[in-house]
Amino acid sequence: MDGRQLFQDDEQPVGFDGSKLFKAKPSEIAIRFVFGVGIALVAAVIGAVFGPKAGGLFLAFPAVLPATLTLIEKKEGTTKAWADASGGVLGAIGLAAFALTAVLLLRWNPLAALLLALGAWAVVSGSLYFLFRKTELFLMQDKLLSRSR
Amino acid sequence: MSIWLIAAKALLGGFAVIAFSLLGQAGHPKRFSGLFAAAPSVALASLAMTVIAKGAGGAVPYAQGMLIASAGMLVYCLVCLVLIQRLHALSGSILAWSAWFAVAGGLYLVVDH
Repeated sequence: MDGRQLFQDDEQPVGFDGSKLFKAKPSEIAIRFVFGVGIALVAAVIGAVFGPKAGGLFLAFPAVLPATLTLIEKKEGTTKAWADASGGVLGAIGLAAFALTAVLLLRWNPLAALLLALGAWAVVSGSLYFLFRKTELFLMQDKLLSRSR
Repeated sequence: MSIWLIAAKALLGGFAVIAFSLLGQAGHPKRFSGLFAAAPSVALASLAMTVIAKGAGGAVPYAQGMLIASAGMLVYCLVCLVLIQRLHALSGSILAWSAWFAVAGGLYLVVDH
């Protein structure tokens, strides 16, 4: 893990590069589609066989991450893959906020509940990201978990 | 559950994964784009289809299961951070699945029984 490369990457402004949306190779899109279909299928089948709560577990299974991290490592190196997984930690807390919002609000209004749950994921994971970015928390996480050079 | 509902969940899940992963790919810096690695893509598609087919009451237990397993997702990502430096991305992130199974499965057994 290259600490300098990680620091330089962290210094970039936050945003989206629209041109990158169309740069994904068809094979990369296909891999993600297959993993997405696969895990949705597993969740549905387990839900039908063992009950919906057991099936629901697989709605939070990291099926696509190995493919994503491997593609990033191949193109940009291990440090960038590590940084992506580091963001995933905060996204996972947002995922819990999504599920909790859905549990609490689905019976009230399903459409609004799913939209608010998506909003909860975005607000919680985004807020945590900016909190970690503005403070020393990313640095603390790096010191704790990385073998930086 | 009908085969058509399972197929619709699977297809919609696949398209949702593509949408979120493209957003992640376009995002910068990498830690920010990593947020999309844990996006509720399959969950959103699957819960929406369950609501359409079975109503809100049918979707709540799925969301409860997901809430339990999101703790597994958090631990998975932390274990990934440790393993991908030592084993590289593919082996590290696949081996880290065992952490997800231990945490999500363990919590499910404790909470559900």
